[in-house]
Amino acid sequence: MKFLINPNRFNKFSDFIFKPLVFASFFTLTIGLAFAFFLSPDDYQQGSTVRIMYIHVPSAWLALLTFLIMTIYSIIGLAFKIPFSFIVNAAVAPIGATFTLICLITGSIWGKPMWGTWWVWDARLTSVAILLILYLIIIFLKKSFTSVEMGEKITSILILLGSVNLPIIKFSVDWWNTLHQPASISKLSSPSIDPSMLTPLIIMTFAFTLIGLLIAIIRIKTEIIERKLR
Amino acid sequence: MYILNSILALSKRELKINYRNFSDILSIFLFFLLGILIFVFSVGPNTEILNQISISIIWTLILLSNTLSIRKFFQDDFDDNNLILFHMSGLSYELIVLVKIIIVWVCLQLPFFIIIPIASILLNIEFQNLKIIFLSFLIGSTIITCITAISGSMNLLNKKNFAVGGLIIMIFSIPVIIFAVNLVSESNDIIRAQINILLGIMLFFLSITPWVCSICIKFGLQNK
Repeated sequence: MKFLINPNRFNKFSDFIFKPLVFASFFTLTIGLAFAFFLSPDDYQQGSTVRIMYIHVPSAWLALLTFLIMTIYSIIGLAFKIPFSFIVNAAVAPIGATFTLICLITGSIWGKPMWGTWWVWDARLTSVAILLILYLIIIFLKKSFTSVEMGEKITSILILLGSVNLPIIKFSVDWWNTLHQPASISKLSSPSIDPSMLTPLIIMTFAFTLIGLLIAIIRIKTEIIERKLR
Repeated sequence: MYILNSILALSKRELKINYRNFSDILSIFLFFLLGILIFVFSVGPNTEILNQISISIIWTLILLSNTLSIRKFFQDDFDDNNLILFHMSGLSYELIVLVKIIIVWVCLQLPFFIIIPIASILLNIEFQNLKIIFLSFLIGSTIITCITAISGSMNLLNKKNFAVGGLIIMIFSIPVIIFAVNLVSESNDIIRAQINILLGIMLFFLSITPWVCSICIKFGLQNK
């Protein structure tokens, strides 16, 4: 598992995994999109708009996963003084911001026909919006220092403080009485979603995760090369 | 005994500096009062609407005027290396941070207890509600001071982007605003629960702030 903290090992590992990852993500995305658009049934209440879910839920999942990865890497970087973790943080933050934005936009497009408004100040929506602002602050704070090392360390402290928001997002639908529906798939024993919709959702989640991983690998490699040039 | 003496000396010095720069503190309060005026101008002098949002106005302006005080904590002492001198005289960075937080709280938040009644006269807040506002302000101002200290220590070497410090303060103060603002209209049970939550947040920030700030200051001193 050394490739997770060592740039040279990571380079070798990523060269090894890159092509299979491209094919796998292309393959799963094709199948997932085919399922999402043609093979999955319409919802009996929502009609065809339910298909937004196949983009909305995976991007929300990736937005949270990216912040979790950044949190873990900040702990590793600050505690064990491993510079590679700061490279990962810098490379991954814009990906998370993008997926959070996708999640918010698709959610708002979905909300207009279902709830009647583009936006409500509901706990889940607000906390995800705060997550987006947090991502942007992290990106801005890193760039506002003249010394790169200082920016990285301060940013990882900010990430650690900001990770308080993650459980709030996760449990906001349970703690507050909200318009956003509660989690449907995380109850593994009895998911409250029909298998004919659950299958494409899981495939799309898998595809999005693979794509995120692919972009992350490309960005981390670029970041390593940039630092070698410096 | 020696440490107590140096803590006393440090706090005396801080108080003296704050006393000599009193116009700085006064302008922060002027910002607060002027902000109320701006709110009244933008909403209109309709007392019904103003009554509904008066407490939110006060809390928003408290938060915004605190964002102006980022540089009061460590910036000057960091720039002329006084922090290292304090450290060499036997005080740990955590202790310095704690002393600074207490002094800044005394100089910057305590006068709000005089200004908030004035604002409440201007905004037609009933005097029975003032008790709860004071209680929530006593807890909330401590949290906001801690957050400002964290943001100030993070931005010690930040020469390019000054606004980001204010952003950090505002984004971490969201829970304070949520739990402090709607206290007045609630029943007794809910008030007690929300005050307990606020106290919990305060204890959390009081415990982590010296630690986080000292880490940031050490990073700053290494990279200076």
